[in-house]
Amino acid sequence: MSATLFGQSVLSGIFAGSLYALMGLGMSLSWRYLRVINIAHFGLVFLAAYMTYEFAGVRGFSALAVALLLIPLFFMLGVIQQVLILRFNVNEFSSLIVTYGLAIIAEAVIQLIWSADFVRYENRALHGNVEVGTLLLPMADILLVVIAVGLCVATWAAMRFTWLGKALRAGLDNPAIAAAFGVPNQRLLLLVSGFSAALAAVAGVFVALLYTLAPSQILSWLGVVFAAVLLGGLGNPLGLLAAGMLIGVSEAITMAVTAPSWAPVVPFTILILLLVLWPQRV
Amino acid sequence: MLKADAVCVGYGEALALSNISFDLGPGELVAIIGPNGAGKTTLVNALARLLPIRSGGILLDGENIARLTPQQLADRGVAIIPEGRRLFTSMTVEENLELGCYRAAARAHKREGLEQAYAMFPILGERRRQISGTLSGGQQQMVAFARALMARPRLLLIDEPSLGLAPVIIKQVFETIARIHATGVSILLIEQNATKALEAAQRAYVLDCGQMIASGTPDELRQRPEIGAAYLGHGH
Repeated sequence: MSATLFGQSVLSGIFAGSLYALMGLGMSLSWRYLRVINIAHFGLVFLAAYMTYEFAGVRGFSALAVALLLIPLFFMLGVIQQVLILRFNVNEFSSLIVTYGLAIIAEAVIQLIWSADFVRYENRALHGNVEVGTLLLPMADILLVVIAVGLCVATWAAMRFTWLGKALRAGLDNPAIAAAFGVPNQRLLLLVSGFSAALAAVAGVFVALLYTLAPSQILSWLGVVFAAVLLGGLGNPLGLLAAGMLIGVSEAITMAVTAPSWAPVVPFTILILLLVLWPQRV
Repeated sequence: MLKADAVCVGYGEALALSNISFDLGPGELVAIIGPNGAGKTTLVNALARLLPIRSGGILLDGENIARLTPQQLADRGVAIIPEGRRLFTSMTVEENLELGCYRAAARAHKREGLEQAYAMFPILGERRRQISGTLSGGQQQMVAFARALMARPRLLLIDEPSLGLAPVIIKQVFETIARIHATGVSILLIEQNATKALEAAQRAYVLDCGQMIASGTPDELRQRPEIGAAYLGHGH
């Protein structure tokens, strides 16, 4: 393998890994803090991707404006989802089934509105490439890495250093005592669910920018993002970022030295090794 | 300052506490003693609004707090040192103390509160970055005290502070309670160790089988033969 091919593989792995981390961040937070294993997250990601395609691609609004509108809208959707989950007392494992159902509903809705055909959003502003020596860095991918790394680091810092983050961690350790010191547990959990859905919107915009969309692909990201979330440690944004990159780069190198069809073996091998060798991590 | 009037608390059908009445004046240190299973911790949790109250009223400075949320009670200056410490065990010592002053009114005093806490418990200052769950029982109790003091409480509910601690540490705990009381904080002390509690308190109530069976000054209670025999180990 030439140095250029190797370098380009590592780069494309970093790009893919950034998207895994961006998609996984909301999942990781809701799994850890809400005890909701949120498969519907992928439905939201694709809903945001299709809305980006519709409003920025078909109707010609600016992609940035669409993203800025989707974020508060999806925040509300996340809050509503969590209110319903609390209302119906959905526990951790039944959440897996309930949110899987929601993802299927999202798929049906998308298919109803946009049909089952492939659609593609072409963004001219982010069409270019940056060349570094013999390597090619697409603008959209560079933006993705910046946003994904930025959001993971910012979320980590917020959980570690802010009142909000400390209150959330305290509520996880001991909700009753946290409440006795004034922590509004329920409201904070709604905030987490809203934030996590807003992250799905951001991820969706990048899915629209980078991929051809089809409703049948909604759950195709599930396995690899699951692996990144578990490997990174629940509620650990920096671990998730590292795990996403590790999986992305390993996949890309596997594809380069073997064949693209071998790529899915990587995340699952890592996940199985993790579960066997280090089960307490999960 | 605090007045409970015929408070009943129950789990399902059974009443854990029936017709509990007591009062605590401003700046007073009142103890509630009683054996294991008497309902002491149930009473603390009901007062801290962590358990629902079936009937009866609890007045804090004349306001009925029986239906408030724990957060609203915290806003009124009540802090708790719960049984078994119940720290935020995955968080550092300092983060635990910071959570003590989470409510808006207390936050402004964070820096000052930390300084006071580390002056009172120097070992916590040395271990401020340590995960609180890895401290010894006595040190965890210090964190629980410091966390509650960070809230700048007017009323402190202390539940079984001596539980599971070595005698030398228990002595320090009661010295700490006396120091806090000397600063003017009203204290309700719930304690199984009746001897220690009666030494510390100005007045005391005896709780058994979910009912208040006696009250008075420590001297009065010590002189009552049935109390001495049952709770203080005097015998004959």
